[in-house]
Amino acid sequence: MVNDVFTFIVGGKAGEGAKKTGSVASQIFINKGLHVFQLLDYMSLIRGGHNFSVVSTSNRWISSHYMKADLIVNLDKRSYDTHINHLAEGGIMVYNSDLEGNMEGIGVPLTSEAKKYPNPRLMLGVGGVAILAAAIGFAKEDMISIIGREYRSGKEDNISYATKIYNIVYPEIGNKFQLEEGDKLRPKISGNQAISLGAIAAGLDVYYGYPMTPASSILHFMAAQSDNFGLTVVHPENEIAVINMAIGSTFAGAKAMVGSSGGGFALMEEGFSLAGMAEAPVLCALSMRSGPATGVPTYTEQGDLNFALHAGHGEFLRIVASPSTMEEAYYLTAEMLELVWKFQTPGILLTEKHLSESEMTVDINVEKTNWADPKMHSGGEYKRYLDTKDGISPLLFPPSKEVIKWTSYEHNELGITTENAKLINIMHDKREKKNKAIVEHLKTKNTVNIYSDKGPLIFTYGSTTMSVLEALKFGDIEAKVIQPRFLSPFPVWALEKYKNESVVTVELSKAGQFSTLLKEKTGIITKSLINRYDGRPFDPIDLSDKIKEVL
Amino acid sequence: MDELGTYAENTWCPGCGNFSILSAFKKAVIKLEERGIKRDNIIIASGIGCHGKMFDYLNLSGFYSLHGRDMATIQGIKIANPDLKLVTFSGDGNCMGEGLAHTIFAAKRNADITILMHNNGVYALTTGQYSPLSEKGWKGPSTPKGSIEDPFNPLSLLMEAGATFLARAFPGKTDHFIDLIVQAIEHEGFSLIEILQPAVAYRNTWEFYRNNTEIIKDEPKTYEEAMKVAKRRDKLPIGVIYRINKPVFHKGLYGNFNPMVESLTREKRLEKIDNLLKPI
Repeated sequence: MVNDVFTFIVGGKAGEGAKKTGSVASQIFINKGLHVFQLLDYMSLIRGGHNFSVVSTSNRWISSHYMKADLIVNLDKRSYDTHINHLAEGGIMVYNSDLEGNMEGIGVPLTSEAKKYPNPRLMLGVGGVAILAAAIGFAKEDMISIIGREYRSGKEDNISYATKIYNIVYPEIGNKFQLEEGDKLRPKISGNQAISLGAIAAGLDVYYGYPMTPASSILHFMAAQSDNFGLTVVHPENEIAVINMAIGSTFAGAKAMVGSSGGGFALMEEGFSLAGMAEAPVLCALSMRSGPATGVPTYTEQGDLNFALHAGHGEFLRIVASPSTMEEAYYLTAEMLELVWKFQTPGILLTEKHLSESEMTVDINVEKTNWADPKMHSGGEYKRYLDTKDGISPLLFPPSKEVIKWTSYEHNELGITTENAKLINIMHDKREKKNKAIVEHLKTKNTVNIYSDKGPLIFTYGSTTMSVLEALKFGDIEAKVIQPRFLSPFPVWALEKYKNESVVTVELSKAGQFSTLLKEKTGIITKSLINRYDGRPFDPIDLSDKIKEVL
Repeated sequence: MDELGTYAENTWCPGCGNFSILSAFKKAVIKLEERGIKRDNIIIASGIGCHGKMFDYLNLSGFYSLHGRDMATIQGIKIANPDLKLVTFSGDGNCMGEGLAHTIFAAKRNADITILMHNNGVYALTTGQYSPLSEKGWKGPSTPKGSIEDPFNPLSLLMEAGATFLARAFPGKTDHFIDLIVQAIEHEGFSLIEILQPAVAYRNTWEFYRNNTEIIKDEPKTYEEAMKVAKRRDKLPIGVIYRINKPVFHKGLYGNFNPMVESLTREKRLEKIDNLLKPI
């Protein structure tokens, strides 16, 4: 075991169930009261290729998977070849002995045993669960109960197969790893589930999305939960329709959100700018993948930071925030929905494939969730774009005796088009006042997370924060990690004290967009940039070596 | 200023067909009120182009959208509050060019909206370029040698896409036109009226349409008959060309629910989330 962490990798062809095996493995650890971090690495295809799950578990808070595993189960040969270097010292490599090829470790006849049942290919993953159960000394009855619950289709066959595999491997690897018991049962959620639940908790009524990895699972989760929460979920013709429908819904008073990755969000930019002019409170979840263009659809990157900060033509307030963990994704999405309604402007919840599609155990206190509650018109003559002290005009929704006009054109307070020079200035100034108002608001909120208060400074943001924290734990490195939650407006007031420091910056960007932003906004100089841009998140072991090198 | 008008200065060319559309629409609103539809529930939108100015000239609530996006905007409004009646003014370039995908998909899903398509066969506000509905050979600043493409037939195209109410109107036949607007807005489902709109600066078609339109006496009863009428070119038939009943999109989505009226309370939401977050 690496330190106090146990890691399990299971890999195979798409369709063989490695993803499900990872998820059931997590459930086994969760039942022991442990913390879990689960990464899913998959290719952009439906069948074949190589998919694998990495599940790392510990009896302390753990914020990354490890690419050094104690137990690796390879359902196929390609998995074996891929993970041959991922075995930790003292680890066990299990391969499918029915397959051709030179493999070393513990051979298990996964395929020939499965062939005794009607649906052999889909069963291999069940074998993976049995191997894990045996290796950690999980009682056979407990394994049977979890298999019965998690693999309901063909339940009896699955139980019989799992029992056989368990019995085969037990003499060799049984009870090889003793995991401690943890302190309590926690739920496990993906980043996209956290984002969805945060939005729903804050008052979301309507979600619009067009499928694009890694944001699609927000659309799927919202759709699956629509009856439960009275949520309306629509998948229209393209991302342009997505954002314009969402903006239309906000006109009617509904809390609306959209989600996509870079390419889809590029199509939404025109509407994003409309939201700036019409002062439409629309929230966009932008989950970054490797770019540019189609890029590497199912892999992670932080290459769209500048894009998010500068999206949309024209000058207008946009709020951009990026969560570090699944828990923070929940709270921050709720806070963002509140903010876009408070300031009537578009916002971006910026995240990455790594957060969106990884899963981890969380402790969420729903009572602490923010609630979107805009300033409403209190009666009398209504002017949609009333020029107020803080630039925020009260809202009113149709149907109403008062006329409510929202518009894409420059306009007067009533929302009627103008080309008058003086009015153009007045309205620009009105919208600009919201920039100042939001800074005053954010100054009273937590805009920057600071972890530990000693040691050299490491700046990072988004889910890379989790990698950094785990790397520090693994390498036993003392450092002060600083992670801005808000990226626009950038919390310069909270970072001023560091302005003459030179720091280490960690991010998933070739160009070092975040380090450039830091310098531009605060004068903080990055003396060492640790960046990765091969589509993979940092591994805590590698990252701790890199941090040690530069500190 | 009449009560449905605004103080905004009217900037259409003298003699433009849009004046007749504006005045017919106001009369249609009064008629709709008489027939029980509340004015507050009528929400207008428009795209960008000469037609879009309707928005500023009408004292009604709504959304002056982007070029080509008004069809998406009003669908979003409808989805959020199905009690509202949505009407958008949409030029032929706006509706059949930039916004074509939204128009076709709105028809496909039978969104309960009304599109009043001002068809002047030209991009007038941007100085006379050919539009998706301009005839082949139209000489505009972007096609000085004449446009190379044949135009769409918007009505047959949208029939195929799934529209449930299609009509053609000529503002010169005022009462007939007003009546069509009322019927289109009352129709439950996707309705579109192709309005033959003279744009005097580029093509003064008042006389041409007066002589070449013909009021449909018997509304087509079948898809095939309607298709024939939609494709007729010798005389332009005006009136309802196609009308059927089909389930509307928002009811398929959530039945008789109304997201604005029945939105869950914070307490209910938190309770349900807490439940979802219970470890197994």
